[in-house]
Amino acid sequence: MSCVNVIEKDRNVIINPLKTCQPLGAMFAVTGINKGFPIVHGSQGCSAFVRYGFARHFREPSEIAVTALHEDAAVFGGRTNLVSGIENLALRFNPDVIGIITTCSSEIIGDDVYGFADTARGNLKEKLGEAADNIEIIPINTPSFVESHYKGYDNAINALVNHLARKDEPNEKVNIIPGIINPGDIRELKHMLASMDTDGIFLTDISDPFDAPLRPSKTKEIPYYPKGGTTVDELRDSANSLGTVSICKYAGSGATSLEREHKVPSAIETPPIGLQNTDQFVRNVSKFTGNSISEELLDERGMLVDSMADNAARYLHGRKVAIYGDPDLTTGMARFVGELGMEPTMVCTGVKYPDFNPDMEKISKETGSDIDVLYGQDLRAVEVYLKENPVDLMVGNSDGRLIALDLGIPLIRMGFPVYDRVGYQRQSVLGYRGGLYLMDLITNTVLEKYYEPTHWKLQQ
Amino acid sequence: MPYKLLEVDKKIPQRKNHVYVKHCSDPEDEIPDCNTKTVPGSMSERGCAFAGVKGVITGAIKDVIHVVHSPIGCTSYGYGTKRYPTTPDMPNGEKFPIENFNLKYILGTDLQESDVVFGGMKKLKKSIIEAHKEFPEATAIYTYSTCTTGLIGDDLDAVAKETSEELGIQVVAFNAPGFCGPSQSKGHHVGNLTLFENLVGTKEPLETTPYDVNLIGEYNIDGDLWIIKEYLEEMGINLLSKFTGDCSHDEICWMHRAKLSLVRCQRSATYIADLIEEKYGVPYIKVDFFSTKYCAENLRTIGKYFGLEEEAEKVIESRMEKVAPELEFYKSKLQGKRVFIFSGGPKSYHLSKPLEEELGMETVAVASQFEHKDGYEKMKSRVKEGTLIVDDPNSLEFEEIIQVYKPDLILAGVKEKYLAHKLGVPCLLIHSYENGPYMGFEGFVNLAKDMHRNIYSPVWNMLEFEEEPAVGENAEIPEDSSEKQETKPENTGELA
Repeated sequence: MSCVNVIEKDRNVIINPLKTCQPLGAMFAVTGINKGFPIVHGSQGCSAFVRYGFARHFREPSEIAVTALHEDAAVFGGRTNLVSGIENLALRFNPDVIGIITTCSSEIIGDDVYGFADTARGNLKEKLGEAADNIEIIPINTPSFVESHYKGYDNAINALVNHLARKDEPNEKVNIIPGIINPGDIRELKHMLASMDTDGIFLTDISDPFDAPLRPSKTKEIPYYPKGGTTVDELRDSANSLGTVSICKYAGSGATSLEREHKVPSAIETPPIGLQNTDQFVRNVSKFTGNSISEELLDERGMLVDSMADNAARYLHGRKVAIYGDPDLTTGMARFVGELGMEPTMVCTGVKYPDFNPDMEKISKETGSDIDVLYGQDLRAVEVYLKENPVDLMVGNSDGRLIALDLGIPLIRMGFPVYDRVGYQRQSVLGYRGGLYLMDLITNTVLEKYYEPTHWKLQQ
Repeated sequence: MPYKLLEVDKKIPQRKNHVYVKHCSDPEDEIPDCNTKTVPGSMSERGCAFAGVKGVITGAIKDVIHVVHSPIGCTSYGYGTKRYPTTPDMPNGEKFPIENFNLKYILGTDLQESDVVFGGMKKLKKSIIEAHKEFPEATAIYTYSTCTTGLIGDDLDAVAKETSEELGIQVVAFNAPGFCGPSQSKGHHVGNLTLFENLVGTKEPLETTPYDVNLIGEYNIDGDLWIIKEYLEEMGINLLSKFTGDCSHDEICWMHRAKLSLVRCQRSATYIADLIEEKYGVPYIKVDFFSTKYCAENLRTIGKYFGLEEEAEKVIESRMEKVAPELEFYKSKLQGKRVFIFSGGPKSYHLSKPLEEELGMETVAVASQFEHKDGYEKMKSRVKEGTLIVDDPNSLEFEEIIQVYKPDLILAGVKEKYLAHKLGVPCLLIHSYENGPYMGFEGFVNLAKDMHRNIYSPVWNMLEFEEEPAVGENAEIPEDSSEKQETKPENTGELA
């Protein structure tokens, strides 16, 4: 009998976190809007650190403004900073959307960001006239001391649809809430939708903003804006879609709001990582659109199955894998390594969410392997655990690289951030093709680490 | 008029006083306004005071634990960000048991809503005790106030005192919440004061020599310090204490015993040199080891101070022999290339002249995120007529500077690098380097090499698809990429 052993943090102190605070998720979400500009209502570090984090992961510009709270604002409130910050941003950058993202400091000070936003709107109206109406100013509450970056992402998507979605003619589209994933992942989702003759509205779409071509002749300068991102019109139109698929269980509020307010049905699932999760994604899209799975996707599925048949039993079966990172990606990945015949013996997430442990139980039953679930834990817990319970492979972000080095366990890089290798942001781990990519990556890593020393075993 | 309102700043005219074009007829004290509050929503590149203290000052120390008293973000972002390598070597000859300890761990209190309401001091105390239990090998525990704990008024000093007594290990509180001061510079200051007040003078070195120095404000970015250490040791000078590159907690405790302090980063660490001089009478000199000329000059000054002139000459001679031919090559390649230096602080004045005099480049603009008056004075004195000097440039100004001043290369940080690339200009990381170290004689060659690589990367000549490429154009890497500027399409100037 397979079972799940949930191990929770037994200390107060957190050591090498596997999560960050809410504002990051909101900055990520707003960056996925065409001409969308996040303005963080907090200290300079609140934007600088996140911009640094995005820049090193995506190797792209990350333009995020800040209201630069200093001591006077801490004492007297941040009204002047936010009102003038919005105006300066609007007048100089002419964005379509300004997402006001709160922080620990602005929430503790108790700034009325909704009131300040109204003041800024009024001031802009005076200065710009009608044109001011084209700038959507949307407050997003993201107190840093509540939950994690996933909650901030969820709050942002929810604020965007609540503020913008308008009931109109049905549009035959499907809304996708992608979660905090890479440009490559979103492009794969688009490919799958296109293959099923379906147009998607991504809430939101960071694929081009965080992976933009270098084409000086086409680049919008002064101000620089990357191409792409979800347009305001699309965000409005999300109320008229056939359904919303959130592939992030931790960010379903926007989908629920659209269902409640505009009768757009929703499906909130694990991301399409591996065979069965991708099947489920396809079924969800199919359910909303009535379009059945295409021959093209069936072939892609067949290629993944073919590769699994060719290689999984031979090279991967029974190997132990430790997976750490964001909850949706780890859940998806745990199921996929199970499909490959491997054992996800340890899964660790820093973010707590009620669905996580029941999902692990399902995976444990499916795969027949015991899973130690490090729930709401950190990378130090992973390190200590792995010293006692060695595995063949680790899967997770770059923050685990020194642990992997010390323990001599190969690390498959996945999730956010990956800064010590290039190209991961361009690859997809989603969909049948993403499964193939992941499987090749895993298999080649196993071959290099465990077969190369007895190289004759690689002779065909 | 030396102050200049850039086109992109028309809506925020207060920026005019931060942008300055050097002119010989200006009064000497005319410099950009600096170290003032940031314009909200301007897209400044500055960070916060917490970044200044943990990211710059204390993050380089090899044997201490950092407990960040914050909601989770500050702790996550404080993790191993800067390229500060350390050796496990301790002053007593032993090895610290965990390699790269400073890069490997960060701890925090992960404050929740209830902590914000009821106060976080109990949680901090528990966290510090647990931190000690988890890493008993650490020499000391440093804890940091952040925006949240600054606002709710948690008394970190009290917790530090209490836990110090309870654990029998020094616990030091750094009170630099993110909102204090105009930039990360405030955090540098707090870091200096805190370390001086709590550490300096509390321990005695195991042994002393007549040639003991403190190397202050050198953080060993990508191994910079190891280069300088080699020179000084060859001269017979003993690095009694480093502040804080590859240093141990105890070294800071006996900084008062040095014969001389050398202040390398004069923005972030002159404070402690001043304090040590004032209280303990240890004199200091400001040193600059970037480029062969400054490095040689300063080694000579140090040699003269200790009567080790010949030893200094030997070091200089042996290194120059090695690097001169290489630098000659790079000079021939970099001659006339226009460079825009946008550093955090002093690198703008460390590098402006050497790039011109030793590598034949032209410094067309310099900028800094957080320099103060003294830094800008130095910057102004070391650039030629017409050079643009900008305090705290924002991203639109950055774009305008690129358009107007047409640099062939930008030296800046990771937040600026990819924007520069999108606009068709190579940008080299100057905060934590690309293939450093960049300091000293060999380091200057590394810098020249990296600048050369960036400017001459073949990609810059292939930015656009051409229907009919000129014959033979792709056959070799062009010697000169200045044609890039001509092929660069005109900016429409259209507001997107």
